[in-house]
Amino acid sequence: MATVSTSNRLASVPTTEPAILVVDDLVMRFVTADGGVTALDHVSFGVKPGEFLAVIGPSGCGKSTLFNIVGGLLGGYAGAVTVGGETISGPHASIGMVFQEESTFPWRNVLDNVGFPLEISGVPKRERIERARHFISMVGLDGFEKRYPSELSGGMRQRVSMARTLASEPKILLMDEPFAALDEQTRLLLGDKVLQIQQQLEQTTLLITHNITEAVQLADRILVMTYRPGRVKRIVDINLPRPRTSEIVSSEPFGRYVAQIWNDLREEASRGLSDAETRPLRTHDKPQGQP
Amino acid sequence: MAEIGRLTGTRNGLGFATPVALLRAAFVLTALMVWQVLAVSGLFYRDVIPSLEKIWTALIALVSHGDFYWHLGVTFQEIAVGLVIGALSGIAAGLILGGNRFIAAVFEPYLYYLGPTPKIIFFPVMIMWFGVDSGSKIAMGALSCFFPITLNVAAGMRQIDPVLIRVGRSFRAGPWQMAMKIYLPAMRHPIVNGLRLGLGVALIGTLLAETKLSNRGIGFLVIQAYNNFDMPRLYAVLLVLFVLAIGVNALVARFGRLDEIKYK
Ligand SMILES: Nc1ncnc2c1ncn2[C@@H]1O[C@H](COP(=O)(O)OP(=O)(O)OP(=O)(O)O)[C@@H](O)[C@H]1O
Ligand SMILES: [Mg+2]
Repeated sequence: MATVSTSNRLASVPTTEPAILVVDDLVMRFVTADGGVTALDHVSFGVKPGEFLAVIGPSGCGKSTLFNIVGGLLGGYAGAVTVGGETISGPHASIGMVFQEESTFPWRNVLDNVGFPLEISGVPKRERIERARHFISMVGLDGFEKRYPSELSGGMRQRVSMARTLASEPKILLMDEPFAALDEQTRLLLGDKVLQIQQQLEQTTLLITHNITEAVQLADRILVMTYRPGRVKRIVDINLPRPRTSEIVSSEPFGRYVAQIWNDLREEASRGLSDAETRPLRTHDKPQGQP
Repeated sequence: MAEIGRLTGTRNGLGFATPVALLRAAFVLTALMVWQVLAVSGLFYRDVIPSLEKIWTALIALVSHGDFYWHLGVTFQEIAVGLVIGALSGIAAGLILGGNRFIAAVFEPYLYYLGPTPKIIFFPVMIMWFGVDSGSKIAMGALSCFFPITLNVAAGMRQIDPVLIRVGRSFRAGPWQMAMKIYLPAMRHPIVNGLRLGLGVALIGTLLAETKLSNRGIGFLVIQAYNNFDMPRLYAVLLVLFVLAIGVNALVARFGRLDEIKYK
């Protein structure tokens, strides 16, 4: 797994290291009744082992599309995604996904939700429970093992989803706006949790978000996407010291990064807005085609 | 879901003494009293409304005779076999319809038209195909419950939250694991609901068929009592039938809730 040491390392990972996840010239077009949408237009980037990359862009720019393609859940694209040099053709064993939508299994309690991936890979029951408990405690849900999702708050359910994905011990963690539905305070605190966990596990992370604060708080690098067609507008290195906590949001360099990213995004976001005014809204987080 | 909520809603700490339960008991008592008054009033021809004592005596006579249990067994078996056949084929058909938009678009309209059609009109055909004995009754039961089960399962499959399927795929669950760990549990409510509705109509289909043409089963007992103008016995058979239907329905509902009291 990641070989980068977390002690006193600055945000940018040594450039000599080869990327573990490579997105190479992705193009994705959706054909719709009124023509088509180019969701991704020649998107390329790499993520190095242990690196935390945030992808930020206005609503509808193709972030979830990118997430689903990298996760192997969506096919029909041009270009390639490679993990450790291997081109993916479906969900890859080294990738774990945390979804934008509510995704806990309502018929399973917390323990069984988190143990799900272990059940799938045939881990014996006793070990499964032990490992599930470990990750439940990592996201701070000790004592809630027997609760059902309907008995938890939205933030807690999102933590269950995260623990479930962590339990599969993926080399690469993919998250699609995992905190989008939460209030600002919960979001900041969960952000701390994610940072803690990511630094502890030295996990390669690709976080999709449209929240600038969240991106700057968490990421080593931020990839800013353009609005329709979704292209890479800029990749910004975030040279803030680690380990970080949410306190960093009040620091001065933090503010400068936020301003810089906002500058990049404003243009795209306003294009997205005027676009939305002229065409009917459409839900676009439906399951997409098979790879 | 609302159904389950309603069922559990009446279960509070007060047990029998809830206003709902009291009112229900009062209603039954009133009905019995009105019945008895009408029975002794002599307003009706002979035994059209027999007195409660007569019904009671007939009931005792009915249940203390071995024949009755044999007939009950016949009916029970017919319904059970019909339900199993109807449920298995209904679940299979529902999964196919729910999983394939094209097939659904082609066939579902037929199901919606045929579903509410009284299945008894097919009884003569069933007699020709499956004989005058249990075969045709089983066929009626199976035919009756096939429709609600199919439609419920198909609708249930479409209602599954798609993100849950993506979660399963992202963890690389195989087809069998997807079916057992995601599709089936996610469809538990619609399946149980379909089975409940199916049981109801299988009961109707089978009994109706028995009253039309047979020499055994509860439906036959009903029609036999009627033909002999033995009204107390007729009501006694109906009473037993009500109690059984309620019991079986409660059993199915319970089976649907076995380990999911906490799961909304
Ligand atoms: N299955 C689909 N069929 C047709 N168009 C689609 C489909 N999925 C996505 N799109 C379109 O592709 C574009 C990108 O969608 P995507 O869901 O990736 O956006 P997003 O950046 O994740 O937005 P948000 O921040 O709101 O989640 C949108 O214009 C959307 O309408
Ligand atoms: Mg999205």
